[in-house]
Amino acid sequence: MNRTCLHSALCAVHSALLLLALGCAGSHEEQDRQVVVFKHGKLAGDERAFGALLREFEQRHPGLTVRDELLPSSTDQQHQFYAINLEDRYVPFDLFAVDIIWVQEFARAGWIRSLDEHVPKAARSAFFPAAIEAATFEDALYAVPWYLDAGVLFYRRDLLERYGVAPPRTWSELIDSTERILEGEGDPRLKGFIWTGKQYEGLVCVALEFIWGRGGTLFAEETGPTQTHAADALAFMRELITSGVSPALVTTADEETARHLFGDGRAVYMRNWPYAWSLLQEQDSQVRARVGLTRLPAFSGRESVAALGGWLLAIPRTARHPEAAAELLRFLVSSDVQRRMAIQLGYKPAYQHLYQDPDLLRVQPWLTDLYPVYESARPRQVSPYYLILSQLVQPELSAALVGRKSPQQALQTARRQIAAALAHRSTDPAQGGAGDQPVGGEQSGVSTSPSPRGYLKPGRASPLGVTIMSHSHVSGYMGRDLRMREAD
Amino acid sequence: MANASRPSPFPPQSGLARPRVKLTEQVWAPVLASPALLLIMLFALGPIVGTFWLAFHRHLPIFQVYEFIGLRNFSRLLTDERFWSACGTTFYFTVVSVALELLLGLIIALLLHGPLSGQHRSASTMQTDAGGRMREWRVKDWIGVVILLPWIVPTVVSARIWEWLYHPEYGLLNYFLVKVGLVQEPINWLGDPISALHGAILMDVWKATPFVAILLLAALRAIPQDLYLAARVDGAGPWATFRQVTLPLLLPVILIVLTFRTMDAFRVFDAVYVLTGGGPGNSTETLSIYAYKTLFQMLQFGYGSALACAMFGLISLVTAAYLLLLRRQLQA
Repeated sequence: MNRTCLHSALCAVHSALLLLALGCAGSHEEQDRQVVVFKHGKLAGDERAFGALLREFEQRHPGLTVRDELLPSSTDQQHQFYAINLEDRYVPFDLFAVDIIWVQEFARAGWIRSLDEHVPKAARSAFFPAAIEAATFEDALYAVPWYLDAGVLFYRRDLLERYGVAPPRTWSELIDSTERILEGEGDPRLKGFIWTGKQYEGLVCVALEFIWGRGGTLFAEETGPTQTHAADALAFMRELITSGVSPALVTTADEETARHLFGDGRAVYMRNWPYAWSLLQEQDSQVRARVGLTRLPAFSGRESVAALGGWLLAIPRTARHPEAAAELLRFLVSSDVQRRMAIQLGYKPAYQHLYQDPDLLRVQPWLTDLYPVYESARPRQVSPYYLILSQLVQPELSAALVGRKSPQQALQTARRQIAAALAHRSTDPAQGGAGDQPVGGEQSGVSTSPSPRGYLKPGRASPLGVTIMSHSHVSGYMGRDLRMREAD
Repeated sequence: MANASRPSPFPPQSGLARPRVKLTEQVWAPVLASPALLLIMLFALGPIVGTFWLAFHRHLPIFQVYEFIGLRNFSRLLTDERFWSACGTTFYFTVVSVALELLLGLIIALLLHGPLSGQHRSASTMQTDAGGRMREWRVKDWIGVVILLPWIVPTVVSARIWEWLYHPEYGLLNYFLVKVGLVQEPINWLGDPISALHGAILMDVWKATPFVAILLLAALRAIPQDLYLAARVDGAGPWATFRQVTLPLLLPVILIVLTFRTMDAFRVFDAVYVLTGGGPGNSTETLSIYAYKTLFQMLQFGYGSALACAMFGLISLVTAAYLLLLRRQLQA
């Protein structure tokens, strides 16, 4: 046993060294050929279609080669990768895809470049305004929308027709029709309304849609009516589960769990992102041509609200080939490429005018319905603090869903946690942190910080940076960080 | 100098030979040990010291905050309900899973050593019949491999396997329970705070029991047979033999196994993280998951390091307690 262990360990080391050697050789060779490294998560759909797009770019720009590098599809893992690598003096990629909720954080950290010179203000109005708002930090644009997502309701058209039910406009219509259909079908395997209630970012999106739809806010610091509305919304979500409209499994479901279940024809309604549409229409899908898509229901007397998601393209501040990266960025966010990505890969464009595009509508006629959803979709808290806020709120939302805490308790704990995590802003106003507004103003919450970089005292940092450098990877990268800041 | 020592009839007493040996040892020992020491300093001590250093700071790379704040991260720990809840979860996870692993591991080891091993047959057949012995070894090896499988599978892979086993709609576990009629409705194992934590414990037990069993099996094989013969001569039954002979002789290894397993279970990360991500409602969030989320998702390097340090302190305490016990055991 031991010998095999040792042997395989040696093999692993050997192959790692080999890879390292190959990698070094590769990068030497490529230095004069201008390689643009494009880093992004795995795309759904046909890989060749996207590869063809990149080859087309290379043909148009003879001096450039694009190296397409994939990260795991898990958003959290991607964030971790970028957070660690972007601190570095040399970033091993030139262009990368950012989740809409990272832009403020990365811009605040000084990790990505302002793209003002590449995308003039006039050109920005072609995109959905909410996406541009999320990508704007201190009046400068830091990322350009690549494709967008917004929460929508999928329904089983065949089932709804069989029971003479119209796609629900309000939540009470959805509950009534679910109960009618489940009772009428009498199939224990058929579930009602499924959504993503696992303890992760997807839950925050769904919860925000309920909370906003109810007129509440999730991240407000002060107590007040908006907090009561938020508690009501959470209680409503819990009730969906206890009443059986939503199966208990939603508390562990993410997008893919929900999509698989719905795709197997085992649910009447599903809240998901539009990406699921193309997958549900594939040849081997059991619900092919039996699915409808509409905007999320509303609470009576209120508007339906969808959370805005999506991915943007950004260029690291320390990118090696920023000009070439900007070329590729301009190509990838062009309306022509976004139209083709919509047709071939199912990603929804960020340009408003594409939702009236005849070519696109011929293939996906329901995009007309999607336009008002995207137009009114709200970005999550536009703040560099968003990832902290979300991480603190996720467990509390989940606790409220499984009945571990009452909605009020959960929201109170979340507020306490947020206050503790952001304590330095109120306790150390002299540190210059008071200008950052992490919370409040959920709709318009662009940070208004006048001086973002008032924190560091370089004199104290320098000896530390040097001593810690040699010790470990983590603290080493911290040391580099400090040296870099000093150089600023 | 060497000449003076040669005629001496008592070389060990020679005044010259000893200091020379001592001298070389004194010179060579640190030199030979230095690579190892250097590596330990670099890869173990360095990061630990670095983490402790960070824990005294507020370090938020996003906001370019880096300032010394003394013990304030630790005082925040004391009032952090999420920290205490993670502590509780970690302790519960550790105690229950390690206890079960030890119990099951011991049973499996005893079975492998006794009824399943074929070792109780007479020694002469084992020696003369080479072919038979080969066959016996092969059977035993197969059992060993099968038993070890869970330990061999990478944790992330086995966590994914168990995630599917527990799946409310497609999971094998629910399928059997419904088929047998034990439950009416499929249960969402990982969606309920209590069953999610126990689901994670079960997976850990499944995974780590082989490790315990193999170590205990080795210890069992090291117990001299004549002690058992003597016990039989004294008329001891199986239970008395186990209590008076096997268990006392196993105890040092049990303590070592416990130390390893407790440390591992206390630091559990990948198994639970893949299985539940800490949910639902943080009911399965262990200390290392909380530290990971604080460090790498919230990017609060100072506070996250304080969490890691607290964890380090707690593990050190537990390990020290085990080592004390072990030393007392070995001295007795």
